[in-house]
Amino acid sequence: MKRRTLLIGAAGLFGSGMLMAACGAEPTPASSPKPTTVPTGTLTFWSALAGMDKVAAAFNASQSNIKVTFETIPDGSNGGYAKLSTAITAGNGPDVATIEYPQLPQFVSNGQVQALDGLIDNAATVDQLSQEIRALVQFGGKTYALPYDAAPLIMWYRKDMLDKAGVSVPTTWEEFEAAGRKLKAVAPDSYLASFNPNEVAVTAALAWQAGGKWFGTAGDSWKVGVNDAATQKVADYWQKLIDDKIVKVEQAFSDEWSLDMANGTVVGVLGANWSATGIQKRTQASGQQGQWIAAVVPNWGRPAGSFYGGSSFNITKSSKNPAAAAKFIEFLTTDPAAITARGNTGSAFLAFPSLTPVAQKAYDASYFGNDIYSVFNKAYASVTPGWQWGPNWDITNTAFKDAYGKLSTGGTVRAAVDSAQQATVSGLKQTGLSVSQ
Amino acid sequence: MATSAITTTVRTRRRTSSGTGGKSAALFLTPFFAVFAVAMVAPVVYSIVLSFYSQQKSGLGFGEAKTTFVGIENYLQVLASESFVGGIVRLLVYCIIYIPAMVGAAVVFALLLDAGVARARKLFQLLVFLPHAVPGVIAALIWSYLYTPGISPLVQALASGGIQINFLDAHWVLPSIVNIGVWEWTGYNVIILFTALQAVPREVLEAARVDGASEIRLSLSIKFPLILPALSVIMLFTIIGTLQLFTEPTIIGKATSAVTSTWVPNMWAYDAAFIRHNLNQAAAASIIIAALAAILSLAVTRFNSRMNKA
Repeated sequence: MKRRTLLIGAAGLFGSGMLMAACGAEPTPASSPKPTTVPTGTLTFWSALAGMDKVAAAFNASQSNIKVTFETIPDGSNGGYAKLSTAITAGNGPDVATIEYPQLPQFVSNGQVQALDGLIDNAATVDQLSQEIRALVQFGGKTYALPYDAAPLIMWYRKDMLDKAGVSVPTTWEEFEAAGRKLKAVAPDSYLASFNPNEVAVTAALAWQAGGKWFGTAGDSWKVGVNDAATQKVADYWQKLIDDKIVKVEQAFSDEWSLDMANGTVVGVLGANWSATGIQKRTQASGQQGQWIAAVVPNWGRPAGSFYGGSSFNITKSSKNPAAAAKFIEFLTTDPAAITARGNTGSAFLAFPSLTPVAQKAYDASYFGNDIYSVFNKAYASVTPGWQWGPNWDITNTAFKDAYGKLSTGGTVRAAVDSAQQATVSGLKQTGLSVSQ
Repeated sequence: MATSAITTTVRTRRRTSSGTGGKSAALFLTPFFAVFAVAMVAPVVYSIVLSFYSQQKSGLGFGEAKTTFVGIENYLQVLASESFVGGIVRLLVYCIIYIPAMVGAAVVFALLLDAGVARARKLFQLLVFLPHAVPGVIAALIWSYLYTPGISPLVQALASGGIQINFLDAHWVLPSIVNIGVWEWTGYNVIILFTALQAVPREVLEAARVDGASEIRLSLSIKFPLILPALSVIMLFTIIGTLQLFTEPTIIGKATSAVTSTWVPNMWAYDAAFIRHNLNQAAAASIIIAALAAILSLAVTRFNSRMNKA
């Protein structure tokens, strides 16, 4: 009992950074006053994204009808979703929440977020988005979120180490493996990248890129294909890289991972556009300025890509003022002022067209050795359409993590994929959903 | 509200009747039982109710979920879960290493302190207790740092001495977590045992000394049997505490994939409730853990009372 209280106390410590957004007093004229009644009132907004306090402040300063109170919450891996979900169930959740794409269907399925149809201006928001992005926020013909970023899977390398190994940036997975072997030849203790058991979303992104489809619907039932042929191919490939010590198995964002990057043990990161800040933070002190480059992820022969991470904004069931909340999330996801206000917090790549150049201007990418945004654009253009997240991502996520825990004692990636498939199917059936394999 | 109402009634009654021990006891106990009912009994009853129901969705699950009575279905699902049963087995292994190590160390330290072997007794008492003053989360963070290869001075020192060890790999992570528990809880239990030792009648010790018993003989044959009741209390607390194991593996799990999110039963229940959003299954798992704690406590108490009679 005592141990648990302590942990919750610590979680509260991280979460209690109640940042009250400054309320701008001067009433700036609204951009285009509409004849319909303008929503007014106060809203609460929860997010784990850096710089969102400034965005909320900018919104408050831009108009006088709606006042947003911002609160930082822990990110998903630190209990953010547990907090959000519990708060919504208890009826004291925020008006506006931040939910990543894999978790969104779960919140929709649990009835914890409101459908946005009728609240938002569809023509000016969702209809402007690409098909791949729209598929992540629309379910059963209704829109449940406005997408913030569209985060393409990106491979980051130490250019100097690739040069040392005498290889150019790999474009296919075959070349990637060969590059890893050449690196081993010149630097036996180095790894080309790491395999992160705690980031199942990367496994999903790799399967997605290879043409896998973990979730789909057929009529009134879910089709689950976590161990489909494409995913099996990916699993066997990474198992080979792990066995041959081309990639190192370690938890992403752990101290070990940071240290390996700083001291050059691991010279690549399989991440996304948003990895830039993390890489800079971990390697700057070891004089790696200008050595890191972004690259389109190697493929299986044809250009293909996927998303890794990315968040959407939602109106929760707890919201008493959905009309005002809708105005706010429109601002968050489509207004250039929202992007500028966030400042130099990260290399964002946004879902709404024409906003990415604004983010690019706000971000200082001088640390990197190439034009990272042109790489992002190329990666974004090749994202494979047709991917859908399942109704309860965390059943799959937990099953994967459990199986990945056995990687150091004879477990394989392939076995993990198979057990995750089985756990997903039985887990979904237990909640009464109709599942076909 | 209810509490104050009850208290008022009790107070009125007390005024009218002649004051007896029972009445004033009721007055003082009412606040406790009120809080106990709200904070302990009600949640337990609610959990038991929850554990017999299930949120059933249908089709794709984008409609309203229906709450249906499913009997012991949730319990069967929990007990059929490989990761839950695996967690219980892991916990048993943990107990087998942890309890002898921790209780053994606590007894030795307490006897040493009492025997006066340590000259600066107060100082050593403080030093032994100090780790317990560190909150569990912080302790786990510190040890996580000490275990991480490449960062830890400990691992580095061992490596330069020719011992290559990864405390966080799948083979070593359990003993590593046991070590955190021992480090944290030995000092606390030393205090309990030391207090019990202080209560040992001095004349008994005098008599033994007159009979020519050495300090070691004195400790083992006189003092140790006399602190057995305190030891049984410690065993009880330790077993219940062990079943609650959560903080240390959760924190260590951030540093290694060898500790999964369902590593021990409590983590399994947390994962079910807050990650997989299945409150009913989580309730069933919690009841199973509580039942285990009850059975083990009963076993320990029975065993001890038989020992004490013998």
